Order: sequence, then C-alpha cells, then structure tokens
Amino acid sequence: MIPAVSPSLLPMFVVVPLLGAAALVIVRRRPAEVAVMLGAPALVAVGALWLLAFHRDVPVLSHAVGDFSDVLAIPFVSDSLSAVMLLVTAISTLAATVFLMLTGESRYRFVPPLLLLLSAGVNGALLTGDLFNLFVWVEVMLMPSYALIALTGTWRRLGIGRLFVLVNLLTSTVLLIGVGFVYGTAGTVTLAALAGAGSENPVTAAALAVVLLALAVKGGMVPVHSWLPRAYPATSAGIMALFSALHTKVALYAIYRIVAVAFEDGLPFLGVLAVLVLATILVGAFSTAGATRVRTAMGHQMVAGVGHILLGLVLLTELSVTAGILYLVHHVITMSSLLLTTGALEQTYGSGRLDRLSGLARREPWVMAVLALGMFSLVGLPPTSGLWGKVGLLQASSEQVTSGDALLGWAALIAVIVASVGSLLGLQRVWRRLAWGEDMTMYRPDDPTTGRGEDQPLPDDVLVPRRLLAPGAAMIVLSLALFAGIGGVLPSIDVAATDLLDAEAYVEAVIG
Amino acid sequence: MILALTVAVLVTGGVYLLLQRSMVRAVFGMTLLSHAANFTLLAAGVPGWRAEPLTDVSSRAEMADPLPQAFVLTAIVITMAVTIFMLTLAVIGRRDDMTEHPETGETHD
Repeated sequence: MIPAVSPSLLPMFVVVPLLGAAALVIVRRRPAEVAVMLGAPALVAVGALWLLAFHRDVPVLSHAVGDFSDVLAIPFVSDSLSAVMLLVTAISTLAATVFLMLTGESRYRFVPPLLLLLSAGVNGALLTGDLFNLFVWVEVMLMPSYALIALTGTWRRLGIGRLFVLVNLLTSTVLLIGVGFVYGTAGTVTLAALAGAGSENPVTAAALAVVLLALAVKGGMVPVHSWLPRAYPATSAGIMALFSALHTKVALYAIYRIVAVAFEDGLPFLGVLAVLVLATILVGAFSTAGATRVRTAMGHQMVAGVGHILLGLVLLTELSVTAGILYLVHHVITMSSLLLTTGALEQTYGSGRLDRLSGLARREPWVMAVLALGMFSLVGLPPTSGLWGKVGLLQASSEQVTSGDALLGWAALIAVIVASVGSLLGLQRVWRRLAWGEDMTMYRPDDPTTGRGEDQPLPDDVLVPRRLLAPGAAMIVLSLALFAGIGGVLPSIDVAATDLLDAEAYVEAVIG
Repeated sequence: MILALTVAVLVTGGVYLLLQRSMVRAVFGMTLLSHAANFTLLAAGVPGWRAEPLTDVSSRAEMADPLPQAFVLTAIVITMAVTIFMLTLAVIGRRDDMTEHPETGETHD
C-alpha cells in the first residue's frame, strides 16, 4: 500500500525546481550547482514514480491552489498520464543535464538557473488543469528556452533565435486568443468544467480548435512544422536533446488531454486532423533523406515522431491511445540518446556536417553502435523500444480496419509502414556518410573563445571520451530495457490511457 | 463592434509588419498582435463599463468580470518581457547571421 500524502504537495513539482533556480542565481559554487541541477530532476523523478504507484489505487489527484472553491480555483491535477510524462521528462532532463555538464556548457553564466526554470515550466504545464494557466506555464517554459538558444550552439543560433522567438510568441498569442474565445463561449477555462463542452456546443468546439491549432504549431505538426527542423539543430546538442524531450512533448500532452476531456463524442474535425497527422508521419520520414547535418536529420525524425504520437489520438480507441503514449515514451528516450550521442561526436570532431564526418565505424565502434541502435529504434526494429511503438500503432490501425472506419485504418496502416521505409532510407544515408568511407584526416577542436577552432590534422588519439558517451549510452540502454521489459511497463501505460479516456473520474476529482 | 473593428485593424497591421524582413518591424508587428489578443480577451468578459469587482464596494449584479482583466494583465507582462528580449536580438548581430561570419571568429557549424 502506498502511503497517502496530501494533494496540496502537487505544486511542489514546480516549487522545487523554481526554488533551485532562484538559489543558483545567488550561489555560484560548483558543488552547489551540480547538487541542485541533478537533485531537482531526480526528486521530480522520484515524486513521479510515487505518483505512478499511488494512481493504481486513486486514479486522479487534484489540488485547488489557494483553497478556492471548485470552478473558481486553478487546479493542479495529476493522473497516471501526467505521472508518466513527469517521469519521462525528468529522466531525459537528467541525461541532458549530465551531458551539458560534461561539455562545460552548464558553466556559462545563468545556464543552471535557466535549466531549472525550464523544468519548473514543464512540470507546471503537465500538472495544470486550467487552460489559461497552461498558457502561463508554456510561457514559463519558453522564456528560459529563448535564453538557452542565445547562449549555446554555433553562430547560427542568433538568426535561428529570432525565428524561434517569433514563431513561439506568435503561436502563444494565438493560444491566448483561443483561450479568450473559450472563456467567451463557455464561461470557464477550467478543463474539468469544459468536459464535453466541445461536443455539446459547436462554437466552443471552434474556440477549442484555435487552442489546438496553436498547440499543433508548438508540437510541430505538418504543415506548420518547418520551424522545428530549422531551429533545433542550430542550438547545441545537449540543449536540443532537452528541447526535443520537453517542448513538443508538452504540447502533444496538452492536445491529448484537451481532446480527451472536452470532446467526449470524438472530434468534429477528425477528418482534417487525420489527413494532417498522416501527412506529418510521411513528410517527417521522407524529409530525413535531405539533411546535410546529423541533427537536422534527427529534427525531421522528430516531426515524424509527432505524427506517430498523434495517430493514437486520431484513432481514439483505448488500444490506440495506449500505443500513442507508449510511442511518446519511446520517442523521448530514443531521441535523447541519438542527440546526446551525436553531440558527443560533434564536441570531439568539431562538426555535425555529414560531409565533414566519415569512416567513424572503424574509429569509434562504440559510439557508432549506440547510434545504430538509436536509428534501429526510430525505424522500429528490434531489439529496441521502437518495435513496440510501431507494433502498437499498427495493431490499433488494424483494429480500426476490422471494427471501425476501414478507410482511416488502412490509411494509417499504409502511412506507418511507408514512413518506416522512408525513415530507413533517410537514416541509412546518414549512417553511410558517418560510418563508412575514408578515414577522417581533419578536425576542428573545441575552442574556448570561438566555440570551434580552425581545421587541423586529426591525431590518432583524439577519440570521443567515454564519459561524454555515457548519457547517450544510458538512454539507449533504457530503450533496450523497454524492449525487454515491455510486460512490466505496459500495465502502467495502459492505466494511463484508461485514465485519460475516463473523463468522468477526472471531472469528479477536480470539481466534485 | 468598436472592439471587433479595433482587433481587426490591429491584426491587419500586425500581420503586415510581421511579414517584413526587418526584425524591429517584426517586433512591432508582434506588439500589435498581442494588443489584438488583449482586446479579444477583454471582449470575452462584458465589454461595457461595470463596477469594481470588490465585495464591499459594489453588488454582485453590477460587478465587472475580473477574470478577463487578470488574463490581460498576465499576458501584458509576458509579452513585454519577450518584446524586450526580441529587441535585444534585433540589436546584436548583423543583417543576416545565417550566412555572414561574425568578427569574434565564431562559425556556423
């Protein structure tokens, strides 16, 4: 039996990183920075594990902040899905933080507090039960991100920073307008009070569609995805791993939550969403082949991943939502591993360009083994978590073929399979350029003032340090563990899907 | 009606400015757009004049809805912070940082 704790502790998921951020602005001692930067996400992970166990007995935990009564309060709500999200984001934050410490980026002024501020925003966005509050947390999450983009990465970060800020501020404004419309039509922005509102009132449904549109831009859905593969690779690898695990995934989580609670009879504009999601899967997978940098290829794969995750929502059965959530977990872990491993290569050889890296299979067998497993996972091959993600989605699609909308089912089946082939082609090209070919002769060592130094001959003893590989390797081990231990993980994810679809329990817990 | 027209004018100007190449114009465009968003939020409550939402000053029937006003206040603060950051981005760097190299010796990839 899990000991029950007061739900008023839920805001601690925000308070702990926020206090840590405040402390690290004042205290700049190295040991303190390391302790807080690793301690805060570790605490969040432990808390999330506890929540996950607790939600087996009590499906929904809600706390009205400030003790205002029911609809007036801004609730913090936790269920199995948000606990899973908290856990996965905390683990990948931990891996990215360790990597940033190893590359020395965490020693830049203000980077430690910004990282903690970012995770405070993410935890807030995952736990809030109020649409306007969601907007606020998304802004809390984006504000440090703007600064992190400006601080790390190559010189491209400046031009890209402008793009990133403009795109995100514009979508935040659209989100805000959408929330205003929801308040104007439904008279409330508490998600629980909006239960079924999208199905009952078409005007509210249109207002919610504006909110969902803004979240789709932030998530990176075709045709509003193109900022993502352009912006993310311009930051440093560690920061990109962090962003890929947090930003788009928070938007996707919010889309799942809003659709599940507000549209109990299914989406009125399901057809549009279905076409866009299938397009996202295909466009992301096939764009990979055109990348000139390793991390640009990963950026396109992230777009494909967004499509796969949202496919669970399009089919909207218990099986498909389970598959979508499983895919989300797998995608966060795999992407984190691939980006951190690529980052280790970039840090050592001074470039992430495909035409500057070659023959690494002989030089760096271990690094390339980790990369290969990561790519296997993206395509959906065993022995990685990618297999179960794809199998789940295919099962849900074929279930749709036999007992539902046959056209949608077939389209989803074909899209997922064709996209797997597309990803395979694109990633195989990346692999061929990186792993095979002539031995590298030139490299650009790390330079403290300009980031990367001049081209110079590559000595034999310059190799990726073991410890720099460790975070990426740890994440791929997690992916392998997910493959082997799927039987142990699936029940939790199944519960998360059931809880998500059971809007009544959610509403009951929040507004009674 | 006046509110709706104001929002329409602001959005038109904002979108036009946002489509310009210059960062400063884009920032002004974003400012106009966020003003439009604020007006939309205000319109979501009762747009006419209402009494102060304080329990000992006015009765419930004549009170204004404080929630949209709180929304707008939050939104203004957030937009102002981001606007200052964007203006900083407009000041540092050159015309096109994607192709030109800076004097500090940093590189693009």
